Amino acid sequence: MARERLGQVASHLESGARKGSSITEKQPDDIVVTCALRTAFTKGGKGGFKDTAAADLLTGAFKAVIEQSGIKPGLVEDIAVGSVLPPGGGATEFRAAALVAGFPEDTAVRSLNRQCSSGLQAVVDIANAIKSGMIEVGIGAGVESMSLQYGPGAVTEFSELLESHPEAANCKVPMGMLSEQMAKDRKITRAAQDAFAASSYQKAVKAQQGGLFNEEIVPLQVQWTDPKTGEEKTITVKADDGIRDGITAESLGKIRPAFAKDGSIHAGNASQISDGAAAVLLMKRSTAERLGQKIVGKFVAASVVGVKPLLMGVGPWKAIPVALAKAGISKDEVDIYEINEAFASQCVWCVNELGLPLDKINPKGGAIAFGHPLGCTGARQVSTLLTELKRTNKKIGVTSMCVGTGMGMAAVWVAE
Amino acid sequence: MLHYRTEGFNGCAVKYSPFFDNRLAVAASANFGLVGNGRLYILELTPNGIAPLKWFTTQDSLYDLAWSEIHENQVLTASGDGSIKLFDCTTDEFPIQNWKEHNREVFSVHWNLVAKDRFCSSSWDGTVRVWSPHRPQSLLTLPTHSCTYSAAFSPHSPDILSCVSSDSHVRVFDLRTPASASNHLTIQIPIHAAPASPIPGPPGIPPAAVPPSEALTHDWNKYRPSVLATAGVDRTIRTFDIRAPHQGPLAIMPGHEYAIRKVAWSPHLADTLLSASYDMTCRVWSDRSDNTTTIGDSDLMRSGPASPVLGMEMGRMGQHTEFVMGVDWCLFGSEGWCASVGWDESLYVWDVRAVMR
Repeated sequence: MARERLGQVASHLESGARKGSSITEKQPDDIVVTCALRTAFTKGGKGGFKDTAAADLLTGAFKAVIEQSGIKPGLVEDIAVGSVLPPGGGATEFRAAALVAGFPEDTAVRSLNRQCSSGLQAVVDIANAIKSGMIEVGIGAGVESMSLQYGPGAVTEFSELLESHPEAANCKVPMGMLSEQMAKDRKITRAAQDAFAASSYQKAVKAQQGGLFNEEIVPLQVQWTDPKTGEEKTITVKADDGIRDGITAESLGKIRPAFAKDGSIHAGNASQISDGAAAVLLMKRSTAERLGQKIVGKFVAASVVGVKPLLMGVGPWKAIPVALAKAGISKDEVDIYEINEAFASQCVWCVNELGLPLDKINPKGGAIAFGHPLGCTGARQVSTLLTELKRTNKKIGVTSMCVGTGMGMAAVWVAE
Repeated sequence: MLHYRTEGFNGCAVKYSPFFDNRLAVAASANFGLVGNGRLYILELTPNGIAPLKWFTTQDSLYDLAWSEIHENQVLTASGDGSIKLFDCTTDEFPIQNWKEHNREVFSVHWNLVAKDRFCSSSWDGTVRVWSPHRPQSLLTLPTHSCTYSAAFSPHSPDILSCVSSDSHVRVFDLRTPASASNHLTIQIPIHAAPASPIPGPPGIPPAAVPPSEALTHDWNKYRPSVLATAGVDRTIRTFDIRAPHQGPLAIMPGHEYAIRKVAWSPHLADTLLSASYDMTCRVWSDRSDNTTTIGDSDLMRSGPASPVLGMEMGRMGQHTEFVMGVDWCLFGSEGWCASVGWDESLYVWDVRAVMR
């Protein structure tokens, strides 16, 4: 009898005995990342990439993936590229970019657009294609040249039918205006936004000075026209040029609001307009081991949710718990959250509402400090997160962002 | 934080008296409930700390207890030898009543809060039984065919009771249904099944989202009559709405590092619950059901299936140095006082608000 009782208690412990989370376990069919990198992010209209086409940035990122990982280009079966602004989705030029980068004609390429989460969607799509067995090796990427392609052409005129439906019509309210309204409704003060934005700058400055971006950024040689002399030069862009030193909550407090006289959002507490590209190489653990690829992280789970179009900023608040639930972990088990800083207002609101400690959020700064090339951000976060998890000897991370027209995405990662 | 040492006996369950604000009872067992005696402690909170009013030693281990709802001095115990005993604090040594029908260890006893002349028990023998303190034999036997760790009457209805068992199911029985082959079983919720998809699939039980594992404890919400919480070996607390049994969990609360032994909803707050685990902690949770910031339609019955909400850990108590086996909330005074017992021979009486983050 005593033996049976002991067996019972032991069985309670056996199935639950793993201390910590089981998501850190290694299985042959795990979807793993063997290379995640990005170009520098540069300021829209004036930065190092202002004269470089999106497809050229993408080519640079592709070449770097081949070089860094040592993967045989012919083994990559599909490439998904998230991008928001190019006409026709960029489908044609991205396929061309892959060919230029050295991928053979056998490597398929497509573009996709889920607004600001396009880069993450591309990575997740590739992960799912590998999981389902459709492909074995793939690249999820993101690219945006806001210098060359940002403008009114990005949204088609709404038909009368769309305009007649109030919630549908809300989909085209500009991000700045709706975020201003949300900040007002949710009582996110200007001071809170400025403090968050200033800390983003300060963290990014520190990270840049400490060389913490060196591992994820690949230098790119591009043509650049000097706006003063009109002279065309060849330059090498190897660092984010939007990061500014000496920004404080007080200095941001002096900037005039951009969207409303009594508003709280301004250029200093919203994401920067930028150019950049990022790429993530994915495969099964068994494949990586067979190919001798160095595993840097594991993709665990992802979520996509819808929210009200006018409250698109709350996306991460809704998406993160869903992703955590799918991964079967609590918010406390996560070591680092990379939550895109589209606006300080929405990011602060999500972080507070989820009760996340600030020191776990964007430890190297975020889009406010170094930019948010729309379609690229989701892929960029993967490299930012995995390098920082590795550097600090931590394990579990989450990337997330809000998505225009009212959505949110999140994904759970484990660094290895 | 008050402390009492149940020397030589490892705590298995604790309950506050529903009649006196300073009285509680602890069921404990020698040798971690594996072999040897059991002991029921009746304890009082005094200005000088926790003092024993009386204790009763039993032949076999005690795993659970329940205060009588009709007599302020009487306590039921669930015993390892399959017996249920009723003790009276004003008598010495022996139980005033003894029921022996279960063939194996009794793991839970629970008094009906509405129809106060009834209580139920659950056992390793794969049955739940319903009893009256006035009758020598059980009134009803409800088979579950698997080791049943926890059974409880709904606090909102005299005739509804539920149980969780090692087969990873919540069962709800409605005693108003006519006697039939189903034995009053009206709802059966697979705890570990995948949440229902908004897209209808083939009929039948949805595929398991997580491998099934033993459910060790459950509790009815005191304010929302259709909501109950379950927890067990998989270290996760889940809440279910029995009106929508196949929609999967409403909220899930992962975080404990080992199996969860006991969950208890707050008697004061509709969204708050307390858990005790083999990981030596007690944790306070919010299932986020009171979330006023919910966007869109928050009524499950109208909005249809939705992904489960991730509950929030609000605080944790780490005083115990061994498995924590039981927790209970104090019904009286300011909300937040509770008691916990564990295998470290310790009873702690503490205020949840002091451990909130």
